[in-house]
Amino acid sequence: MALTGIQIFKMTPKKNCKECGCPTCMAFSMKVAQGAMDISACPHMSEDALAQLSEATAPPMKTIKVGTGDNEYSLGGETVLYRHEKTFVSKTRYAASVCTCMDDAAIDARLASVSAVDYERIGERMYTELVYVNYAKDTDSAKYVELVKKAAATGRTLVLGCKCPETAKAALDVCKDAKPVLNGADASNYEEMSKIATEAGVVLGVSGANLDELYDTTAALEKLGNKNLVLDVTMGSVKETFEAAVSVRRAAVKDTDRTFGYPSIVNLAALVQGDKPMQQALAALFTMKYGSIVVVEEMDYAMALPLYGLRQNLFTDPQKPMKVAPGIYPLNGADENSICLTTVDFALTYFLVSGELERSGIPCNLVISDAGGLSVLTAWAAGKLSSTSISTYIKEEVEGKVKSRKLIIPGKVAVLKGDLEAKLPGWEIIVAPLEAVQLVKFLKDMQANGQL
Amino acid sequence: MATLFQRVFSGNDAVYGLTEGIIDKAIEQYGEEKAVSFPGTAYSLPCYYAVTGTKVTNLKELKEALGVVKTLMTRENELNDVFMSGVATALCAEFIEVIKYIDGATPYEEPCYGHLGDPVIRELGVPLVTGDIPGVAVILGSAPTAEQGVALVKSYQAQGILVTLVGGIIDQCQEMGYKTGANVRVIPLGKDVTSVIHVVSVAIRAALIFGNVTPGDAGALMTYTKDRVPAFVNAFEPLDDVIVACGAGAIALGFPVITNDDKDVPPIPKSLIIQKDVDKWNATSLEARDIKIKITNIDIPVAFASAFEGEIIRKGDMQVEFDGSRVDCVELVSMKELSEVEDHKIELIGPDIDEFEVGSKHSIAYVVEVAGKSMQADFEPVFERKFHSYLNCIEGVMHTGQRDMIRIRISKEAFNAGFRAKHLGEVLYAQVKNEFEAVVDKCQVKIYTNPEDCTKMRHEVAIPIFDKRDERLASMTDEAVPVYYSCIMCQAFSPSHVCVVTPERLGLCGAVSWFDAKATHELQPNGPCQVVTKERCIDERIGEYEDVNEIVKKLSQGALEDVSLYSIMEKPMTSCGCFECICGIEPFSNGVCIANREYAGATPLGMTFSELASMTGGGVQTPGFMGHGKHFIASKKFMKAEGGVARIVWMPKELKEQVRENLDKTAKELYGIDNFSDMIGDETIATDPEELVAFLTEKGHPALGMDPMM
Amino acid sequence: MPFNRKPQKFSASIKEVEIGCGEKAIKIGGASVFPFYTFDGDEGNAPKVGVEISDMGLEHASEGVKAYYAGASTMAEIAKKAAEMPGGDFVVLRLEGGDPNGANKSIEELVAVAKEVADAIDAPLVVEGCKNVEKDSELLPKIAEALQGKNVLLMSAKEEDYKAIGAAAGLAYNQKVGAESADDINLAKQLNVVLTQLGVAPESIVMNVGTAAVGYGFDYVISTMDRVRAAALSQDDKMLQMPIIAPVASETWSVKESTASEEDAPGWGSVEERGVSMEVQTAAACLVSGSDAVILKHPQSVATISKMIKELM
Repeated sequence: MALTGIQIFKMTPKKNCKECGCPTCMAFSMKVAQGAMDISACPHMSEDALAQLSEATAPPMKTIKVGTGDNEYSLGGETVLYRHEKTFVSKTRYAASVCTCMDDAAIDARLASVSAVDYERIGERMYTELVYVNYAKDTDSAKYVELVKKAAATGRTLVLGCKCPETAKAALDVCKDAKPVLNGADASNYEEMSKIATEAGVVLGVSGANLDELYDTTAALEKLGNKNLVLDVTMGSVKETFEAAVSVRRAAVKDTDRTFGYPSIVNLAALVQGDKPMQQALAALFTMKYGSIVVVEEMDYAMALPLYGLRQNLFTDPQKPMKVAPGIYPLNGADENSICLTTVDFALTYFLVSGELERSGIPCNLVISDAGGLSVLTAWAAGKLSSTSISTYIKEEVEGKVKSRKLIIPGKVAVLKGDLEAKLPGWEIIVAPLEAVQLVKFLKDMQANGQL
Repeated sequence: MATLFQRVFSGNDAVYGLTEGIIDKAIEQYGEEKAVSFPGTAYSLPCYYAVTGTKVTNLKELKEALGVVKTLMTRENELNDVFMSGVATALCAEFIEVIKYIDGATPYEEPCYGHLGDPVIRELGVPLVTGDIPGVAVILGSAPTAEQGVALVKSYQAQGILVTLVGGIIDQCQEMGYKTGANVRVIPLGKDVTSVIHVVSVAIRAALIFGNVTPGDAGALMTYTKDRVPAFVNAFEPLDDVIVACGAGAIALGFPVITNDDKDVPPIPKSLIIQKDVDKWNATSLEARDIKIKITNIDIPVAFASAFEGEIIRKGDMQVEFDGSRVDCVELVSMKELSEVEDHKIELIGPDIDEFEVGSKHSIAYVVEVAGKSMQADFEPVFERKFHSYLNCIEGVMHTGQRDMIRIRISKEAFNAGFRAKHLGEVLYAQVKNEFEAVVDKCQVKIYTNPEDCTKMRHEVAIPIFDKRDERLASMTDEAVPVYYSCIMCQAFSPSHVCVVTPERLGLCGAVSWFDAKATHELQPNGPCQVVTKERCIDERIGEYEDVNEIVKKLSQGALEDVSLYSIMEKPMTSCGCFECICGIEPFSNGVCIANREYAGATPLGMTFSELASMTGGGVQTPGFMGHGKHFIASKKFMKAEGGVARIVWMPKELKEQVRENLDKTAKELYGIDNFSDMIGDETIATDPEELVAFLTEKGHPALGMDPMM
Repeated sequence: MPFNRKPQKFSASIKEVEIGCGEKAIKIGGASVFPFYTFDGDEGNAPKVGVEISDMGLEHASEGVKAYYAGASTMAEIAKKAAEMPGGDFVVLRLEGGDPNGANKSIEELVAVAKEVADAIDAPLVVEGCKNVEKDSELLPKIAEALQGKNVLLMSAKEEDYKAIGAAAGLAYNQKVGAESADDINLAKQLNVVLTQLGVAPESIVMNVGTAAVGYGFDYVISTMDRVRAAALSQDDKMLQMPIIAPVASETWSVKESTASEEDAPGWGSVEERGVSMEVQTAAACLVSGSDAVILKHPQSVATISKMIKELM
């Protein structure tokens, strides 16, 4: 049972010294209770209290950091199994993979493709964050090191798939400063691998032939003092891998079995090699069910566009709606003479409305102003969508860029019409239907009546 | 009652004898093995099959069935005997009718339909279930005049009611050249009284098909026809014993009978109604069968749509204005007895708009009088608050304010289109009837435009009512009501959050009072507000109840086990995300700080409203922190478990001014403290705990001396 | 020390609903564990994959879909091919041509199409209306009547028209009723409550709790399905135990990622591949959130998802 803010507060020095960065001890305690700050940020905590609190406030699943600088990523640290319970904190990271089993041309092409996918979606940069470098059995160790060098040149954080201690050591020698993951420990080599990883200061990936072996090996590594781990849950089949991914996360979060309290790796490049559509399906599946790192063979746009969209939806705060940036969005080839419509910046509303507008085929400018990311009625009720907010935005941002002086407002805020007419002289304010689905007909009727 | 008993028994006996004779004669003619059936049905003799569960296929079985019918014909002079004899009469009628179809005969010809096949029932059944056909009228006999008969048929037809005709009324329709047929939903069945069974057969098969009633389960059958088949009988005088017996059958199925025959017919409330005036049968029948007609068209000369809600009518465009800030105006909903309201009566008392000078100001008072079996006076203000949006949706009409502070402008354009005062009434009538269908059976509107009437309505009628309502609201305590209500409107955003709305603790969004929740529940029984009982108290101090916990657990899908109503420290109620205010514990002053949504600055807690919101929201219990509505601040139940409002040590200045009057009153009552608000800090006094404590100490704030909160 | 497994077993389960008749009839639902948690207990019937066709033919279909149906010109021929699609379990006919804002085909015309399709195949059939509430409330009862005895699933009854569609499909003509609500567990439940109050048997209801393409408000879809499934199993909420069907194709094939031409989106690569990936990934995400059936369009997607289901079951 997690501690409440009040319980934590009782153990603080109650001095409001602000040294932790919070204005009051109460605020600090609340943040610790939420997992937003670490208890060690308080310099005045008694040893006793610290020990007591560290244990009680320790998250069920560790947050493991990989990479450095801009390429540093947090994995794990989740406290719930479902997004509606509380926001998932560390989004799934994706890796494209290369292997010593590939020929040079294929390797070069693959590594070149890593930087091809890089775009922005609702304020978030979408790209291939990791490169998985696999050391195939019976291939040349030197070749692997060369491959690692090549992969490192992409600037992406690496995951080294290598179970051979000597080869791993050699590879780490060329890339350890960038804090890659060494995914190579199993029941047979974990002691040696742990030593190599610890010496290099990198995260160690653990795998097992089945859940029990994975569990035992992880427990053994912890016993050795290595708690800087990720668990490779890839098993012999899709079914077993799914069971492993779910079981590991569930054991950690729901049953507080801390041995499994680590992030996971799902290697689809190994599991369903060569089957691109299946990799697409499973990438989505394991994004939903608990893959911290999902490895695919190649990350192209076909794979990325849906996958990053899914991830963006999955890792949103269920209490905080997604917002689109304010601006003028020209649709269907609209220009400065095209009619304007306005709605709120709530992403769902934006997508719904822009989708219908695109369906109508009629050129129009969709004007989005800041409405706090709320839906139309909620924004209106909260005063975030008002005649003032709309008219100010239109005057400041739209009038200089668009010549049309017709503005269509959401049917649900028909009440704003009169005020808008008063505040936007020269504009004709038109009230849209209540529902977005009615927009196509509404616009087509306007077009037929020569109103556009 | 003896007369009715005798008449039913005698009618039943007569029909039984007749049936026996007909069956015997048929057996004589065709032999026992001769098949009997109605065309186009999979339900044999549907009425007999439904009541007994037995399918009759030939004359031999029919004869046996008649023996079963005989057992229903008990004569104990109890009401049940009357009903059973009615049912027996109906079954006999079915037997007589089926024999008409023997040997492939087609006993009915244009315009009569006789037996209706299963496909017709499936087709009619759907609109019956959806309410698109709001009722089924069975008109029997001859109207006093053909004109009256046709007018009655027409009145039902205009309401979408399915009309079936038996006997003389069929000839009367033909005589007047009135079009009949299934396509216009006026179906002549047949001229013999026994043909009435064909509509009964429709009702009964509807129960089998749409009600999943098991054949033979007569109890379920009658419950279904009574609750789900909105049929009624209109029987013209004279009623002979056979018709009276059939009527008893109809009543047994739950169908009221309305007649103009008052000789030897004792009325039975709600079931056998005597109405001499045939012109009133439509209204009488609808009321007796609880049929509500949906209003699809509002009869006004201008458009009505939410698109006009924001329309502003400027002085120059205005035909007339009613201005409550200058002269006496008022709007009111008033609950009446059913007998006091004539549905859809719109009455204008005083001059109409066209008698006013262009651009002039006047008084207006309109009273919407509603009546209904489930209507409650507590709904009056709920309806009233909707008037603003109703009237604003009229093209060319602008409405602002409420109660006696209203202002209405009517545009020249609307006026020129023919808009007059009564149209305000039409809109109010139609919207109230439609939106509050569940509780409003009848509605009428009175519009006053004489200044002296308006003055009287405002000061002598409305204001006392408003005062009474306010008083009731203010004096309502949690203890005074039998139940609370849950509200889960916010679960889309906050999956596990459940509000428990009590009279003294409104929803934390500030928008749902106990009355609102109650009205929402009555109007939408499956909607977001459900009844929460509070019979099993666990801890009175913090307001914890077993039954409240059960509901909260259920509605939060198990995420919450227990909540208290009056504590912030122990099992506090959760918050969604739309709370007006958050209060949080301020340990150094031993009290709580409150921040409202509009306040963006710092608080002595070291957290802003939005930081507090992110910790408190989401339907999670956060002891020491709680979202709530502004109104709750002055409530005597505000953190009652921790000592009440005396714990409030800080709130933004603006909020403090808003709640000052009520809060001071509460503090005075609870602790005898005058001007308590002055002891509470705000952002102009302190935003850090040390300064706040200094201020509180100087003022002698009670929280400093109270038991530690934690 | 081996890993201590703590399976989440529930005494409640999702109701089984049968669609279609004869040998090819399918059952959906029946699970008493979370989706694909076969390691916890009984997963019931494997999720099913529907193949969507439209009364509007193939005009707007992607190249791969057109290629699959090459040679089929009548609706009957298209339906036959759909029924034969490898990996497909049932056929879904979308009567989008009924939309009054679109082709506005008459009810008679659409009923004729539905009959043609139903008569051409022996695979189970789902018929979707045109999404216009007024039209559907007239159209779907007529379809229910015309396809008597075929045990089809009619989609969908919504809050506004549940009476007409529920009464016709669920009561008068013994078909199955799709109950559609928009991404809200309470609305989904409320609709099931009023449908059952109308007299429709709970075993005749399949829910569409709202779906979207991934990236397009799919967060609401995930949470709604997660919560419905959790309430059905852990709370034994009878009014949420109806199986869920997710019409994926109609959502995914209209978003930018699937429609932007290669000229308009240089660098994005094959539009066909993007469309398939969008469909496949949305379907996978719906299934793992609790959908008991998904509706897809592209043969590649159907093959992939049905293979995924097999591997997971």
